[in-house]
Amino acid sequence: MSLLKRELRLLLRSPAEVVQSLLFGVLVVALFPLAITPDPDVLRQLSVGLIWVVTLLTSLLAADRSLLSDFEDGSLEQMVLGVAPLWWVCLVKSVGHWLTALLPLIVITPLLGIMLAMTSETMLWLMASLLVGTPVLSLFCVLGAMMTLGLNRGGALLLVILMPFLVPPLVLGTQWAMTVGQPFYGYLLAGLLCVSLMTLPFATASVARIAVGR
Amino acid sequence: MFEDLDFEVQSGEVLQIIGDNGVGKSTLFRILAGLLEDYDGKVEIAARSCLFLGHRYGLNPRLTVLENVQFLMALQGEVPSEDTLLTALAKLGLLDETQQRCGELSEGQRKRVALTRFLLSNAELWLLDEAFSALDHHGRQTLLTLCQSHVDRGGGLVFSSHQALDPLMVDKTLRLGPA
Repeated sequence: MSLLKRELRLLLRSPAEVVQSLLFGVLVVALFPLAITPDPDVLRQLSVGLIWVVTLLTSLLAADRSLLSDFEDGSLEQMVLGVAPLWWVCLVKSVGHWLTALLPLIVITPLLGIMLAMTSETMLWLMASLLVGTPVLSLFCVLGAMMTLGLNRGGALLLVILMPFLVPPLVLGTQWAMTVGQPFYGYLLAGLLCVSLMTLPFATASVARIAVGR
Repeated sequence: MFEDLDFEVQSGEVLQIIGDNGVGKSTLFRILAGLLEDYDGKVEIAARSCLFLGHRYGLNPRLTVLENVQFLMALQGEVPSEDTLLTALAKLGLLDETQQRCGELSEGQRKRVALTRFLLSNAELWLLDEAFSALDHHGRQTLLTLCQSHVDRGGGLVFSSHQALDPLMVDKTLRLGPA
């Protein structure tokens, strides 16, 4: 609990990080109609995919934010040596990533939807797909960030490592929202979330032990 | 980096590791602490609990002194009351800085913050890499007193330093570097 409390405290101390995620999302969505077309029909067709891609990119931008600071100031070492199970630490770091980078974007999704002329029904299913799918993004982002901690040009490597793993939640999430709640995609996305929750914190913990040895 | 190392530290003993920069003192400490696993050999630690302080103190610059110490103690599975924490911080001369963010403190002050958990913990073995660096005379004396009382309680202590310390305090010395 103290780790979760710390993550929330750090979140409140760094509103700029949350604003950065929001600004990125709003700017992309605002610029998109200017660059492509202001036609509401076209925008409506592209809206779900666009918001999911923006969400995915936002998660990548924030992937190593908190881990890097923990690595540099030695907190990560102490977490590895601490009595709390390391998989739990990694899970909490993923929750922190989700809260700072993705939840704010999910909260303003209705606004982004309106900007892209989205129907209210699609918007609801988009929100549902983001709520189920984005934790998967966070779990993978923390794993990828842990892999590249302390490496030169880790950011570029992070993109290469993560991209293949982020495609399934992206495809399932967009399909679920675009088909307005087709259960098949919903089940698959929920299944992916369950499998990710059960495996990725443990994988991240193993990688963390290697990362602190660098 | 080094080979043929063989040493042991009993309860109530102090082992000092000395050597120049780059001889592997920190690497040895990281192996002892369990942070490095890529080595040939065997490390056996019988102590039930062990505290390690390396070059990085584990203090988040955006959190206050009190929040950082609370968090580090929680990582060790110990939750002292705020009064206990404040008393410990006062002993280390940090009572006026408890609500200050660690990023605003000097190196020496941050080191003292990191040492607070040693004052509060019941860990049997202390591993202090470059224990006395960044500390002023007062901080150094405080740490020496802290170490002495830990050893008197039967705790083991391994610390590194560039220079040899008072031989009266040290039971064993391990010198790393060219023979």
